[in-house]
Amino acid sequence: MNRTGKFGIAELLFVLSLLILIVIVALPVLLIFWTSFVVDGHFNLSAVVEVLTKPDTFEALKMSLLLAACVTVTCTAVGTLFAWLVTRTDMPFKETMKVLFTIPFMLPAFIGALAWKMLLSPRAGYINQFWMALFGTRTPLFNIYSFWGIVIIETMYLFPFVFIQVSGALERMDPTLEESARIAGAGLFTITRKITIPLILPAVVSGALLVCLYSLAHFGTPAILGTEVGIYTIPTKIYELIHQSAGSFTAIRAATVMSVILVLSAAVILYTQNRVVKSGRFQIIAGKSVRPTVLKLRGLRTPLFILCIVYLLVTVVMPTVTIFLVGLLKTYGLPLQLGNMTFENFYYVLFKWKLTKDAIFNSLYLSLGAALVTMVAGGIISYVLVKMKVRGKWFLEFLGMLPFSLPGTVIALGVILTWSGRFGINIYNTGWIIFVAYIARYMAFSLKSNSAALEQVHDSLVEASRASGATPWQSLRDVVIPLIRPGMIAAFFLIFLPALRELTTSVLLYGPTTRTIGVAIYTLNEDGETVYACALAGVALLLIVGGEILIKRFFEKKKRLDNGGA
Amino acid sequence: MKKLLAVLVLVSLLAISGAAWAGEKLTVYTSMKESLIGALKDAFVKNNAGIEFDYYSAGAGKLMAKIAAERESGKMTVDVLWHSEVPDFYQLKKEGILEPYVSPEAKFVESPVKEPEGFFTPVRNGTLAITYNTRFIKTAPTSWQDLLKPEYKGAFGIANPALSGTAYGSVVALAQQFGWEYFENCKKNEAKMGQGSGQVVDDTAMGDLLACIGVDYITTDKIKKGATLGFVYPKEVIMLPSPVAIMKGTPNLAAAKKFVDFLLSREAQQIIANSGTLPVRADVELPKDTLLPNPHDAVQRAIVLDFTTMSATKEATIKKFTEILRPGK
Repeated sequence: MNRTGKFGIAELLFVLSLLILIVIVALPVLLIFWTSFVVDGHFNLSAVVEVLTKPDTFEALKMSLLLAACVTVTCTAVGTLFAWLVTRTDMPFKETMKVLFTIPFMLPAFIGALAWKMLLSPRAGYINQFWMALFGTRTPLFNIYSFWGIVIIETMYLFPFVFIQVSGALERMDPTLEESARIAGAGLFTITRKITIPLILPAVVSGALLVCLYSLAHFGTPAILGTEVGIYTIPTKIYELIHQSAGSFTAIRAATVMSVILVLSAAVILYTQNRVVKSGRFQIIAGKSVRPTVLKLRGLRTPLFILCIVYLLVTVVMPTVTIFLVGLLKTYGLPLQLGNMTFENFYYVLFKWKLTKDAIFNSLYLSLGAALVTMVAGGIISYVLVKMKVRGKWFLEFLGMLPFSLPGTVIALGVILTWSGRFGINIYNTGWIIFVAYIARYMAFSLKSNSAALEQVHDSLVEASRASGATPWQSLRDVVIPLIRPGMIAAFFLIFLPALRELTTSVLLYGPTTRTIGVAIYTLNEDGETVYACALAGVALLLIVGGEILIKRFFEKKKRLDNGGA
Repeated sequence: MKKLLAVLVLVSLLAISGAAWAGEKLTVYTSMKESLIGALKDAFVKNNAGIEFDYYSAGAGKLMAKIAAERESGKMTVDVLWHSEVPDFYQLKKEGILEPYVSPEAKFVESPVKEPEGFFTPVRNGTLAITYNTRFIKTAPTSWQDLLKPEYKGAFGIANPALSGTAYGSVVALAQQFGWEYFENCKKNEAKMGQGSGQVVDDTAMGDLLACIGVDYITTDKIKKGATLGFVYPKEVIMLPSPVAIMKGTPNLAAAKKFVDFLLSREAQQIIANSGTLPVRADVELPKDTLLPNPHDAVQRAIVLDFTTMSATKEATIKKFTEILRPGK
């Protein structure tokens, strides 16, 4: 845009974007690789091999991959089944069900794990107790502290990744393709195999890979359900290493080597996902608004409907109710009876206890601050990426891809390496380090949302304003920003809500006064303050669900206004 | 909208920068739980209105990491340190960053940890004993060996020594007293390694475990709230004192000394006793319904630990312990 070659606003924005990405994202990653591969100034692979061949590290690695693989398979099965049921069958209340199936998304998985621990711990879980009393046995129904326990809990709260992708694809799919096949005499089985499945496959795979990526980097569930029985994954192993060492270099080193594995796995997954999404087949799914034919479930209609309702009751309602009921107990272990209940715990965590009060405020201002800064920074970077023609942009594009492939654990380690005095700034153990980490962690969301909005602003609009004599700054302010504002606001909320309940990153970074809500719930559970952990989790759930509802309202109102105006 | 955004930015920036302190005040880093340090603060401030008192409460590991970070940056916030990891205090003393102070109250202190030069002084004698669930266990255990009996099969819990300092202390004490065979026998009886030292108590209250090595104040607090738990001291008492130390070079030395004197006074020791943990002064009356032993007796029965070597051997000890107790795949 700026072809005069002098240092104008374009160059300024470019340099600014570059600086943000390098300092916030690239430097931490670079330091992780540097710490793993360079010993005393020399490239050294033996240290890496040594860490990887240590039995407990190797076990953690194997467990992480196995866990992610199993969770991916189960999520794909569950997500695809439900997506098909609510889009392509004559199931009752389909629209409502579609909304209901995204609710598990709002529930942070570690709070789910906490609830299920209380329901299904082998001897004392409420369900197991009931089971053992009912049948007079000493063998529990199910032990949640196990590999399959972790798989089931992660599946419960991660399957919406697949569900959302696949139900979207099924809805947008051109039904005439299936119809023509039927007219040509193909049976339902053939149509499904030859037409439907190939068409939705990219959506299924892309959802599955998202699940895989998330599960690989997920801390809360394996930490709550696995550690006790010796099941360690990469994130929980890193947590133990860092916690044990109070910052010793050998531990950090071992942790960085494991992070490198995480980054590489994530990169492979993302590369595959990009390939799948870009593959030509996806194009057949056009934006047609024709209603696809629905399959009549006949005799299965009611049983399948009941299955869906029971599934939601079991995965959403039961854990939520458990959290609130245990949060009301005077002390953990008392029977769930009215006489043993009190609002004291809720009052205590909200108004009296410095630790939990701190945590709520920390989470609020950290997520608010990170969301604002990341929204603006992401807007600037996306603008440069999408709209500007500047030399060296490829490098920026490469850097812009980086945040997508960085698991939360890796970011945490990276910022520890970067911001604990190495470059003259030491913010370890302060809120700032979590703040910086959040910006790096959520930059990807902001870039995605902002670039999507920017791509819809046609260049001709800016050109027209420039032709009419506006300065670059004026055209930015009066044309571009108003047009991409919805994208920026969406980015804000896409960051604010997940940051509010964040655990994986902050659990490695928190200091005495900088616990976040997630960390406070996790450490309270670890410290055996179960009733307070539940009370705080209840408060967190109210905050999150309240936030989601407010935002939905806001966007719906906006949509209606926009549609009315158009 | 723009105005709103500007206000939000300002508010969040202010909130974040709120960590910077100014002026004269006493800052205590402690691993004591909120209710105890809160009660002590109230009593201290009442008598010393001129001193602005603030505290950070977190696990000992977190506090040490924060102090290490503060030393690195050259700006120390902490004036007084009080937590339960005695080996850390010997380490800090060796590094020369503690201010020696022998309080006039120190002569009343009875504790297995003795530090005549006054670099640190024990303030409470934390103890660990057997916590058991009274719903399932009708005859209380009386010795550590009782936990190896078949009735505790698969249901005796020990917190993870890698996560909890008190758990580490109890592992060292039991290994020293009974040898590593004790833990091997625990494993034979399918004992469980839990997580934090509080969580094993909660698991016992819930019935997931039938007994565990329980910390005194955690267990007594839960019993007070109605949990069906029992708490018994075997002959050999695991005692892990919590010393207090003044940081060298603190600008608030006078206030820090006053606080140490206060912690060792009868008044503060009474508050400590009421919180369910063992005071260091024998002239303090324990609450009537207490489950704690007499402070003087307990010190006599305590397993004597060499705290000076405990940090050097920590990694090896934890490794040995987890190798014995880590559940098989």
